[in-house]
Amino acid sequence: MKIENTKAQMRKGVLEYCILSILQHGDAYTSEILSQLKDAELIVVEGTIYPLLTRLKNAGLLSYRWEESTSGPPRKYYALTENGILFLSELNNTWSSLVNSVQAVTSKKPTNDEQDN
Amino acid sequence: MNKTININLGSIFFHIDESAYQKLKQYLEAIRRSLSDDPQGKDEIISDIEARIAELLSERVKNERQVINETDIVEVTKIMGQPEDYAGDEEFFEEQPKTQKSRSNKKLFRDGDDKFLGGVSSGMAHYLGIDTFWMRVIWIALTPFTSGMNLLLYPFLWILLPEAQTTAEKLQMKGEAVNISNIEKKIREELTDISAQVKEGASDFSEKVKNTDYKKYEKKAKSGLQDILETLGKIFKILFKILGKFMGVLIIFIAASTLLCLIIALFSWVSFEVIGFGGNLVNFPIFIYDSIIPFWLLGILFFIIAGIPFIVLFILGLRILSSNVKSIGMTTKLSFLGIWIVAILGISFSGIEFAAQRAHTGAAIFKQDLVVAPSETFTIKMIENEELSNKTRLRYNEGYETVFDGDQMKLLSNRVQFDIKHTDGNVARIKIRKSAEAKSRLKANTLAESIDYDFDLTENNLLLNGYFLTVNNNKYRELYIDITVYLPEGTTLYLDKSTYSFLDDVRNVQKVHDRDMPTHLYKMTDENLYCLDCDEDDFGYNYDPNNDNFKLQIDENGILVKLSNNADSTAIKINKSGITID
Repeated sequence: MKIENTKAQMRKGVLEYCILSILQHGDAYTSEILSQLKDAELIVVEGTIYPLLTRLKNAGLLSYRWEESTSGPPRKYYALTENGILFLSELNNTWSSLVNSVQAVTSKKPTNDEQDN
Repeated sequence: MNKTININLGSIFFHIDESAYQKLKQYLEAIRRSLSDDPQGKDEIISDIEARIAELLSERVKNERQVINETDIVEVTKIMGQPEDYAGDEEFFEEQPKTQKSRSNKKLFRDGDDKFLGGVSSGMAHYLGIDTFWMRVIWIALTPFTSGMNLLLYPFLWILLPEAQTTAEKLQMKGEAVNISNIEKKIREELTDISAQVKEGASDFSEKVKNTDYKKYEKKAKSGLQDILETLGKIFKILFKILGKFMGVLIIFIAASTLLCLIIALFSWVSFEVIGFGGNLVNFPIFIYDSIIPFWLLGILFFIIAGIPFIVLFILGLRILSSNVKSIGMTTKLSFLGIWIVAILGISFSGIEFAAQRAHTGAAIFKQDLVVAPSETFTIKMIENEELSNKTRLRYNEGYETVFDGDQMKLLSNRVQFDIKHTDGNVARIKIRKSAEAKSRLKANTLAESIDYDFDLTENNLLLNGYFLTVNNNKYRELYIDITVYLPEGTTLYLDKSTYSFLDDVRNVQKVHDRDMPTHLYKMTDENLYCLDCDEDDFGYNYDPNNDNFKLQIDENGILVKLSNNADSTAIKINKSGITID
């Protein structure tokens, strides 16, 4: 088992959640989402995002509109749908409980019994 | 110096290096292939990616005249990630994460790259890990065994099996692990294939004209009409190709089934003979038995004569189907021809030898007077040998039967026939003519003499054997018994029903056919038999009873013309005493 694979999978697991969270604060086009994710070092290469966005859109969690751009091609602006908002709040709950659980497990101090032995 | 290409990427116009263009194209193609698992979203994802690449590239372009080069593309791909990153994401979100593909984890696809009809065979070959050629051979070879059912199966497989379209599918089909390095390898293979094809086409046209120039030139020169003609040409080419392939299949099918039949025939024949079972079961060409060449050798010779042309035909058909099949070498061709000629010579020798065996006909004739009471009815009956033969119906089939007379194996034949003729004398006679064929007249005579035939006369009943016996190996020596019974005028004859089919063109007044003659009473006239109790139905079709009423007789006594109409009759006689009419 390669450590890179595990790392990548850990990141990928939360990617959907992060994308939805980014869009929670307002509509964004792909590059904006990308730059935020890159800054957070959640993704290394951009390619990963496209299938994901399409998947989320096809699942009805996202919608998009085209906006003309002065500097380049027209941009795809993504926005959360109502389903997406519900989905996100669900994920929010899951995430916080997951963080707690992981925290609890990983930061658990050895018990007294174990110390005695 | 580099050639540049104008491209439209995400609705933005770019000047791009040819090499950079190739690289970008390969990159996009690789992504497309790696996205195989989600066909619906694929185009959308690709256009998103193209748009993003366009964006990235336009950031790098400082002014309108700047050309995108390979470095730009490399940089962009670095940002975008390798094709496997796209695919990897897909995999992760699959309901069932894909496990590492191993060689055994193959999928059955149709191979569109190596197809003759639908690529079913090549797909199955990949799946089974054998060469496509052999898979096709198996398909064809199976046909005679399944009586063509596998040919019906083919269209089903064609419909049911998906064609391997994406690289991932192609790799799955061939059982290679679907990872990025294999995908790249596959793509590179395909690219070399394509470039080889392009080069081939170009060199056909002219070696000096570069591929791209040629294409441009072609485009300019192409008028509408040329376009249509070219399309028609292509259609015809494809039609001819299909027709050719169809012919190939037909040829292979015919050749294969014929060869199979020949092999089965050869084996069954030889084994029948070895077991000694075939004697009466199958009628083989007659000279095989008399040949001095052993039958198994003859069989092989026949097989070679008939088989070699079909083997050649089979190879020809295979070559039409698949260009992979190499032409058989000159040595093989010549040895085939040599073997074939030797086989023909062998059979010819056997044939000549056989003809010589029967060059002469010999006969043995036996005559005897028959003591018959003229006032009583003389009956002819045929009798069969119920001790030796179990064939109860007399002469149901003309032919031979091998029987055991005690410990001796003998040949029992029913080739016996008899005729009835008029004799001028007062005594009935019988003549038995035994005939045979052999290499010399003397041998034939001796052979004829040796035929064991008998008859019996008791109380005006002539009992003729409906069979004769001879040494077993005399089959096909044209052995016959011809009997003639001579009866004096006025004898009454009854033909028993057993004589049916033994009669040989017995002449009679009413022209009753041989098969209608038994079970009737006859009287011998001064010429031939006259049926006493036949129905008109039994009379020969060319018998006209009225004709009998006119009689013209010219002999040493003079001329007699007699006309009779039932009771009345008129006769004109011209003789020494003059002309008399009464």
